[in-house]
Amino acid sequence: MDLSLETRQESGRTIIEVGGEIDVYTAPKLRECITGLVDEGHNDLIVDLEKVEFMDSTGLGVLVGGLKRVRTHEGSLELVCTQERLLKIFRITGLGKVFNIYSSQSEATAS
Amino acid sequence: MADPATNGSGDVTIAIARDPALVRTVRLVAAAVARRADCPDTLVEEIRLAVGEACAVMIGANQSPAAAAEQVEVSIRAASPFAVTVTGRVEAEEPGFEDIGLDPWALLRGISEDLTVTEDQGTTTLQMSWGR
Repeated sequence: MDLSLETRQESGRTIIEVGGEIDVYTAPKLRECITGLVDEGHNDLIVDLEKVEFMDSTGLGVLVGGLKRVRTHEGSLELVCTQERLLKIFRITGLGKVFNIYSSQSEATAS
Repeated sequence: MADPATNGSGDVTIAIARDPALVRTVRLVAAAVARRADCPDTLVEEIRLAVGEACAVMIGANQSPAAAAEQVEVSIRAASPFAVTVTGRVEAEEPGFEDIGLDPWALLRGISEDLTVTEDQGTTTLQMSWGR
């Protein structure tokens, strides 16, 4: 399973739907996606992790880097995730307090 | 190239080139060995994550040509406790991790019941184990 990335605009936000595995091999693709969107002026991002089957610290690093990047443009990067195995990773690293994590895209866009 | 070897006890040793594309292969092998050792599904998932994370930190996403010629060795002991040893040179620089005060092993410390990190002349050895 490789990494899949689909982006679309909704309610003034850019939603990135991520699928597959975010690891040391595929994470650079996600980084390029986020960087490209911010460079195009899309500074309010929602990253939907619901279809992600695996993520390591490289993936976490990309999300942290993305958050820092959008904040320099006064933007936002919020997450959609209900998978316990991923939420556990955010809790272990303390990143659950750094990111706003929502249970659905509609909840995230309404925030 | 991945080079798995078993010793008849269900234990597996696999050595890979420092290529990020091969880390997934090691994760799959680790999960397969854990399943064969009758580990519960939640433990299989933890072992898969731990082995993938250990290799990710060792190898890193940005490879230098010199580093690519080296290998990372993963030894998996299927007995109880289930144990994994990963040996190699640490290459990774996690962008953003240092900025929020996390060391490279932060995730591993959280998912392994027993993690030991030792370094000898530039070679790092990670030893992780899980009871069942």
